[in-house]
Amino acid sequence: MQHGIKRQHLSEEAKKSKLEKDQIKIKNYKSLVDQLFQFRDDNLYNEDIFKLTTKCLLINPEFYTMWNYRREILLNLNNTEIFINYLKEDLIFLLGLLKKFPKCYWIWNHRKWCLMELVDLNKADWDFEFNTISKLLELDERNFHCWQYRRYIIANMKKDLDSTVIEEIDRREFDYTTTKIQNNFSNFSAWHQRACSIKLVKHENSYDCLKDELDLIKTGIFMSPEDTSIWLYVKYLLTDTFFIDSIKSKNDYMDILQDQLKVVEEVNELENEDTGKDNVECLKMIIFLKDLIMKQEGNDKFDKDIQNIIHKLVDLDPLRKGRYKDMLQNQVLTE
Amino acid sequence: MSIQFVEDKHIQYVIEQESHRTFEYWLSEHLRMNGLYWGVTALITMKSLDENLNRQDVIDYILSCWDSKNGAFGSFPKHDAHILSTLSALQVLKIYDLELKMLSIQQKSSLVTFIKNLQLPNGSFQGDKFGEVDTRFVYTAISALSLLDELTPKIAQSASNFIMECFNFDGGFGLSPGAESHAAQVFVCVGTLAILDKLDLIRNETKLVNWLSERQVLPSGGFNGRPEKLPDVCYSWWVLSSLSILNKKHWVDLNKLEQFILSCQDLKEGGLSDRPDNQTDVYHTCFGITGLSLIDHKKYDFIEIDPVYCMPSEITKNFKKWKK
Ligand SMILES: [Zn+2]
Repeated sequence: MQHGIKRQHLSEEAKKSKLEKDQIKIKNYKSLVDQLFQFRDDNLYNEDIFKLTTKCLLINPEFYTMWNYRREILLNLNNTEIFINYLKEDLIFLLGLLKKFPKCYWIWNHRKWCLMELVDLNKADWDFEFNTISKLLELDERNFHCWQYRRYIIANMKKDLDSTVIEEIDRREFDYTTTKIQNNFSNFSAWHQRACSIKLVKHENSYDCLKDELDLIKTGIFMSPEDTSIWLYVKYLLTDTFFIDSIKSKNDYMDILQDQLKVVEEVNELENEDTGKDNVECLKMIIFLKDLIMKQEGNDKFDKDIQNIIHKLVDLDPLRKGRYKDMLQNQVLTE
Repeated sequence: MSIQFVEDKHIQYVIEQESHRTFEYWLSEHLRMNGLYWGVTALITMKSLDENLNRQDVIDYILSCWDSKNGAFGSFPKHDAHILSTLSALQVLKIYDLELKMLSIQQKSSLVTFIKNLQLPNGSFQGDKFGEVDTRFVYTAISALSLLDELTPKIAQSASNFIMECFNFDGGFGLSPGAESHAAQVFVCVGTLAILDKLDLIRNETKLVNWLSERQVLPSGGFNGRPEKLPDVCYSWWVLSSLSILNKKHWVDLNKLEQFILSCQDLKEGGLSDRPDNQTDVYHTCFGITGLSLIDHKKYDFIEIDPVYCMPSEITKNFKKWKK
């Protein structure tokens, strides 16, 4: 699987010369692999072979069978002290590999395995893991392996801690997403994380929390209304029961929806002045809000206003024309 | 103006995969079984399988990857069994023989044991005994059990419950509960539910279809895998198959998508890449071509591909339909 690598057309001659140059590498690699498979067939598990698996995995970190053999060797070390040292050294070895191959599933998998073995021996150093993952996430803020691993670390850190420390950790994670988002409003991975962690953080009440969130995103909406990630988050804020149930009355909810509508219409106005065109994402949000308001008022048919905007969207967002036509026909907005 | 589809070059490209034995070729043994499935699927979609690949050679290769210790298929001879290579092996074998007569009764029963043992109490599946949990493996295991006609109500129930735990607030699915939505994970989750006849568990289907239709981006017309990411040919398959399963292909611009896929062809040497002018590989070649089949198989004189299994509909129509 090749991603993001420029296409190259080698001449026949260049291909031939590459193949010639490759021969020695191929020979060495294959003899290393053959040797390792032979050792495995002979049920050999020792530290010299362990080093050979390192050599092999440095060349080919995707070689899942070799990771399996490596784990078998580790499990066959019959001294706990040595076992722990090997696991800790492997975490360092893996960090180097992850910097080079941050999207390789097998490397992440082995890291988790090592960590779980250390957990069983009560030797896991969660702070070290946490700092490691934070550094890796700096290198690519959308890498879903990193985010996944971070959630995994946090979940494990929280085990066996008392509730005040857990609260601190949750708060810190929530603040972390604030920083990430402020660095880059388009980082949906951070928005996703925020949507999950906001429910864990203690709020005086979720109503104030909703208000704070709506304030925070306002800047982002004005700055880049074409960004789809913020809108997903706003929709979440305005429909998830965690927030909605905290709103005391229907009137308060209507006020919030009307306020949001005003904001989005204003942004769309500004876009119109700038570009002479409506902003597609704003229009989508406007019908979303109008639909919510309409339902609050007990209507279930689109009014002229919504219909007009959907007609506009057919022209302005032709990729999804079929969706808008279905909307008009069924008189349902979808969400 | 439309770019031409250079079918002959793609056929040649797929066949020659085996003959360019560069260093990189030897480094990709762990993907060889998947690669075989991608190649076979690309060829059969273009109605060019039998004249280009020798049936017995393919079957022999697959059988040589049998891991007798674990009772399933690895990716290459001597490599350990894994659920990913096991599904690829079964898919190709099923294309050649619906009854899987090339496998012994013992092999079939150890395959079933291997797969069932990978399921965890929460309904999810591991990729192998060391492996982690991922919705990819749930799909792979469920699809493989379906190919073997060995699904049970208990497995169906727990697997689909786990899948629904991976449904997110934005309408997509992630690789595990709490993980960010991703188009490939949406396919595996929707595909699993489709096999298990449990699509009705998705309460907010329109939210999901909305999320899928938002994957199409301009100016290219290709699909991305997550918000604010670049388009990539492989998502043509992951997204369009999901839309197809949910009967909403018309919610995106198929014509624009088709042009994007065509623009990713290597017109000189055949094959398709993730984006225009990038390095081709058999994975993107397969999913570009199956994507085109979903868009309009008649126009290209392709066979029809089943969006649930990513296999010829001619084959899958014989699968026993699972009823809960
Ligand atoms: Zn891709």
